[in-house]
Amino acid sequence: MKVDTGIDWDLSKAGAQARELEELGYSGIMTAETSHDPFFPLLVAAQHTERVELLTSIAVAFARTPMTLANIGHDLNATSKGRFVLGLGSQIRPHITKRFSMPWSSPAARMREFILAMRAIWANWHTGEPLEFVGKFYTHSLMTPMFTPTNNEYGAPRVFLAAVGPRMTEVAGEVADGVIIHAFTTEKYMRETTMPALERGFAKVGKTRADFEISYPSFVVTGQNEEEMAISRELVCKQIAFYGSTPAYKPVLDSIDAGELQGELNTLSKQGRWDDMGTLIDDSLLNQFAVVAEPKALPTALTLRYGDLVDRMSAAYSNIAKDDQRAIVKELTAA
Amino acid sequence: MKVDTGLGHHLDKVKPSVQAAEAAGYDGIRTAEMNHDPFMPLLLAAEHSEKIELATSIAVAFARSPMILANLGHDLNAYSKGRFTLGLGSQIKPHVTKRFSMQWGAPAAQMKELVLAMRAIWANWYEGAPLEFVGKYYRHTLMTPAFTPENKEYGAPKVILAAVGPKMTEVAGEVADGMIIHPFSTLEFINTVTLPAIDRGLAKSGRSRDDFELSYGNFIVTGRNEEEFAASKLATQERIAFYGSTPAYKGVLDSIGVGDLQGELNTMSKQGRWKEMGTLVSDDILEKFAVVGEPGDIAPEMLQRYGSIVDRTSASFPVSDEEQRGAIIAALRAG
Repeated sequence: MKVDTGIDWDLSKAGAQARELEELGYSGIMTAETSHDPFFPLLVAAQHTERVELLTSIAVAFARTPMTLANIGHDLNATSKGRFVLGLGSQIRPHITKRFSMPWSSPAARMREFILAMRAIWANWHTGEPLEFVGKFYTHSLMTPMFTPTNNEYGAPRVFLAAVGPRMTEVAGEVADGVIIHAFTTEKYMRETTMPALERGFAKVGKTRADFEISYPSFVVTGQNEEEMAISRELVCKQIAFYGSTPAYKPVLDSIDAGELQGELNTLSKQGRWDDMGTLIDDSLLNQFAVVAEPKALPTALTLRYGDLVDRMSAAYSNIAKDDQRAIVKELTAA
Repeated sequence: MKVDTGLGHHLDKVKPSVQAAEAAGYDGIRTAEMNHDPFMPLLLAAEHSEKIELATSIAVAFARSPMILANLGHDLNAYSKGRFTLGLGSQIKPHVTKRFSMQWGAPAAQMKELVLAMRAIWANWYEGAPLEFVGKYYRHTLMTPAFTPENKEYGAPKVILAAVGPKMTEVAGEVADGMIIHPFSTLEFINTVTLPAIDRGLAKSGRSRDDFELSYGNFIVTGRNEEEFAASKLATQERIAFYGSTPAYKGVLDSIGVGDLQGELNTMSKQGRWKEMGTLVSDDILEKFAVVGEPGDIAPEMLQRYGSIVDRTSASFPVSDEEQRGAIIAALRAG
């Protein structure tokens, strides 16, 4: 199994951080898109590493046009010599329309078209296909030599798609090279909803599971002593509560018969009671979403639950000793 | 006068390029947006330099959401410790709609709104002003702490606009920190169209020319010997003819009483007679657009013509002798 980990937004530390993570044995380095550009840290990381894969997990697709993402993807893949993975997610309607001032409609259909538009642009650049992409949401029909990249040695990056619901997951299976399963997922939901949706997507284009990577950033609660475990637990509970407040993720809570929690969390979030929300996540709920184990027991616990399902995991164990992190990564990547 | 130079898009060559530019005494280094992302080279340039200013000249504004640009601008300015300038241009309608699949409205009005939208976002991030930007083209009304950058020490980058026509120029004067005058300009056009429009804009926002940085990379024709001089002259005549064939730039030809030339050049361009077009640019016309002379005469002539108007130049100096080029740059910076 591949093991990925995140780097944060601080560009002055990204180079050294990336090098250290590569030395620790991680397979991939990921950025998220929250309060900063998600591509910059990976550009810095690319200059300071040799082997490790570089992934956005995720960049907000609908905040951008397929053309600017095609360009960014091309450039990052070229400079990293083929190590870049463009991980995309839809975000939710209010963030697209009210934060990014960009259009939102039928997200799964739009995302499918978005990725196909990028592939049409890359086919134009890399293999000289005419650019005549006219879709329902995106139109790309103009390209001249002046705007065509010439460093085509490494071609297009792989594209991963973050998905929760069955429609978006099916789109991932159909048009992406991998899926990023949301951390806010239960094992039950993964087996009963995610996997069948991916298979439907594969079937549409004659793809097999072997052509595809499944990435899952499982929540992990761990620590070197009880105090650290408690801190880790509180942090993870808050994250679970934050995601649980989102209406779009209610089906995940439904999978373990805790659907009514969504409304409760949503109400609290609207009152700005972010700290209180975490206290609603009890131990049984926590265990559905997170693997809770001491550092030494962690690899086995993760492999037992997800080993037959996913190709790459991205658990955060940055709170424990470097040697323990290295041991976990080594054991998991050998599994 | 400050002197800027260009930075190419080959990411592996950024480090030596920016270090050489800084050592050569350039004040700024700039990227254009052609077939690559224009921001990534500047990030690496920031990593490998200390004091040189960094700018896009230009990035295509309408290809992006104001939020994305606000984020990129913030990150580049923070990482470069306040050295970044976000230079924006509108491009033309077919490129925005058919290449980037983005909206094109009334360009000057849309650009004004885009810059004001970014400023509203920055005011939210840095001063905590509520984000309630509701315009005709852009709406930004949602921001949460998770999406607000933490590193606020250097604040917003400067924003400059590329403009030719009086409407876009006035918008630059009103909402931007500076403007890039198109190389295809004459002193007559600058004096009768550009500067009055800038002053109208500045008046609207209660500012003066001291608050505003004007950048102009005029054409230069020179050479160390007759052969180099002839090559430089021919290349410049062809570029002037190319721009002169564009209907939107007819006003510039009108400024020196040769507006009729636009139609003639346009007809020839449609017949693909690019080489021939250059021959229509007479010596008299050439001298209106270009500073023509021996290498030693270039800096004094530029300072005499533009010194009281222009704050920085991004002219390319077509001399192959590094020492001569260095002398021109030094003379301009001293003037």
